[in-house]
Amino acid sequence: MESERPLLEVENLRTYFDTPRGILKAVDGVSFTLGKGETIGIVGESGSGKSVLVRSIMNILTSNAIVPDGSKVIFDGKDTRQLSRSEAKHFWGTQMAMIFQDPMTSLNPVKKVGIQITESIRYHLGASKQEAMERALELMIQVGIPEPRKRLKEYPHQLSGGMRQRVTIAIALACNPKLLIADEPTTALDVTVQKQILDLLASLQEELGMAMILITHDLGVVAGRARRIGVMYAGKMVETADTSTLFHHMNHPYTEALFKSIPRVEHQSHTRLDAISGRPPDMVLDLVGCRFAPRCRYAQEQCITEEPELFQTGQTGHLQACFYPVGSPENAEALAANQETGMTAAGLDLSAAAVS
Amino acid sequence: MAGTGKVHMRGDEALVTVEDLVMEFPAGRRAVVHAVSGISFDILEGETLGLVGESGCGKSTTGRAMMQLPPPTEGSVRFDGVEMTELSKEDLRRTRTRMQMIFQDPISSLNPRRKVKDIVAEGLSIWHNDSGDMAVQKVNEVLDAVGLDPEVVSDRRPHQFSGGQCQRICIARALVLDPKVIICDEPVSALDVSVQAQILNLLEEMKERYGLTLVFIAHDLAVVKNVSDRVVVMYLGKVCEVAGPDALYAHPAHPYTDVLLASIPEPDPDHPVSDRQIEGELPSPINPPSGCRFRTRCEKVQDLCSTEEPVLKEIAPDHYVACHFPNEVPVSVNGNGDSS
Repeated sequence: MESERPLLEVENLRTYFDTPRGILKAVDGVSFTLGKGETIGIVGESGSGKSVLVRSIMNILTSNAIVPDGSKVIFDGKDTRQLSRSEAKHFWGTQMAMIFQDPMTSLNPVKKVGIQITESIRYHLGASKQEAMERALELMIQVGIPEPRKRLKEYPHQLSGGMRQRVTIAIALACNPKLLIADEPTTALDVTVQKQILDLLASLQEELGMAMILITHDLGVVAGRARRIGVMYAGKMVETADTSTLFHHMNHPYTEALFKSIPRVEHQSHTRLDAISGRPPDMVLDLVGCRFAPRCRYAQEQCITEEPELFQTGQTGHLQACFYPVGSPENAEALAANQETGMTAAGLDLSAAAVS
Repeated sequence: MAGTGKVHMRGDEALVTVEDLVMEFPAGRRAVVHAVSGISFDILEGETLGLVGESGCGKSTTGRAMMQLPPPTEGSVRFDGVEMTELSKEDLRRTRTRMQMIFQDPISSLNPRRKVKDIVAEGLSIWHNDSGDMAVQKVNEVLDAVGLDPEVVSDRRPHQFSGGQCQRICIARALVLDPKVIICDEPVSALDVSVQAQILNLLEEMKERYGLTLVFIAHDLAVVKNVSDRVVVMYLGKVCEVAGPDALYAHPAHPYTDVLLASIPEPDPDHPVSDRQIEGELPSPINPPSGCRFRTRCEKVQDLCSTEEPVLKEIAPDHYVACHFPNEVPVSVNGNGDSS
């Protein structure tokens, strides 16, 4: 029975922040599950709430955060929100670990790499200095750092960006976590290094059998890496499906828009990109209707007044929240109607949409 | 990867000509960082030149050296018939009004304490004494051109804007003096893909509207391909390959270009993740490899590569490569690959 249970269950998670301007609903009712050894990709623009989502899962929120009752994060049968401080200390690192976007700021600039890696090994596993160093060396080899013995004695500034990210991965893996959360791990890196890091994460995951949450704003990054993908917009999950289903049968207009905004090498140069016009909504406001409606080409009256809920579509496990899903006859009608008037029901000018 | 050789230069018709540009920085104890080692390229009027390569390849240094920020160690930069490296301080200041720059991090390149209208108007107030209505009108015009409503944004400060909007402000600031050339140093790499598309489209529009010539510096070949008319691939201070963007993608001749292309993440789950990966780290620019600088990470490396530096040669019409063992490029197909 126990083995049937997914590793991570997130149920109706809501995270609000008390700001001077009002309550900011950064994450507003997100649910998903993640099996052991599985990878889920979470995709969305800046401000869509994806980073707050994973911080809520790890329970490392700032003090002005409010998590209303009814939000559940069950990890391996335990509710992470109910952990006491002392339990949590040994929970982070050994059960769940996280790597961040900027490897320079997540490493301590005045401590040697070796100290930073062994710190958690000694603290969590109670290893001796000698043992911890041995383990650190192993980890350095595992994450593909050349001359590991020498590098252990160096400071972060002596390493390149890619090497630093490898070090943060080594730290995250030090105590064999069951879940690795990678929050935009490659956004600050070059494309060539990005590929190295993503390849490394994939191979380590296979080797160690850990689950992974991969957060990114680029659908291209998760396409070949995640088994499932969740697309977030303005604090809500708007579409989630198996990677292959998602790419072949995109239902939500936001997913489609994200996909279309990627510059593709296959296209002729000077091909005009389909940018998404406008910006995400201000989450302090009370939002009515579909949150993407003001930027959506297909928006109708219904989208402005009524909020679509996530529901199951044809394929199993494919959930989406749109009244006029892409590829459906309703969607084609909606677009035709909007094109006729030149404007969507939310007031988006279709001819100007392409410009800004 | 040598980059010596000038067969790809197009002569007098170019608006900007960079020749044998060398940029070296002292690194203490008599060591020298060879950031850029003798590269040459030219840019025609109205063209967008893409400079692409990894961090540390010298692409930003090249862009800055064109602006004389700081002046190059050796070599020449000719802009509109004027030799930039020989200008007096005052003449250089005047010339720079026609050559502007946009940087990677739009938020840190704007002064957080100033209002948007003052940021954009600064160039005008320095250069034109009539800073009254004319200046206001000009500022409003460029703000409007970059897709910001002057009435709404003029009195705000940078922290009230998102990254994409800040980049629009930077573009407005660059446009206000009616420059001929804008050097864009990684203008979109700090932005989300969706915002990136907005900014790339905006740059294309501005180029058309104001008749600009652009230098577009980036590490992502997909982005560079989208905006450029000609692409220069750089590695460790040298030029690897020069070609039109479509030809470069269809038939990359240099092994390094191959790797760059294979690194682009494909938004297609059926597209197998390429197992081509660049091995190892960028060698130190203090002590660059002999011969071809890419040889230490190249899978095609031969003995010749360490002894002799490859020179740029034309392997197809308007397609140049600096490699002893380039990939085959079909000459006939390639001819119509250039979009310019």
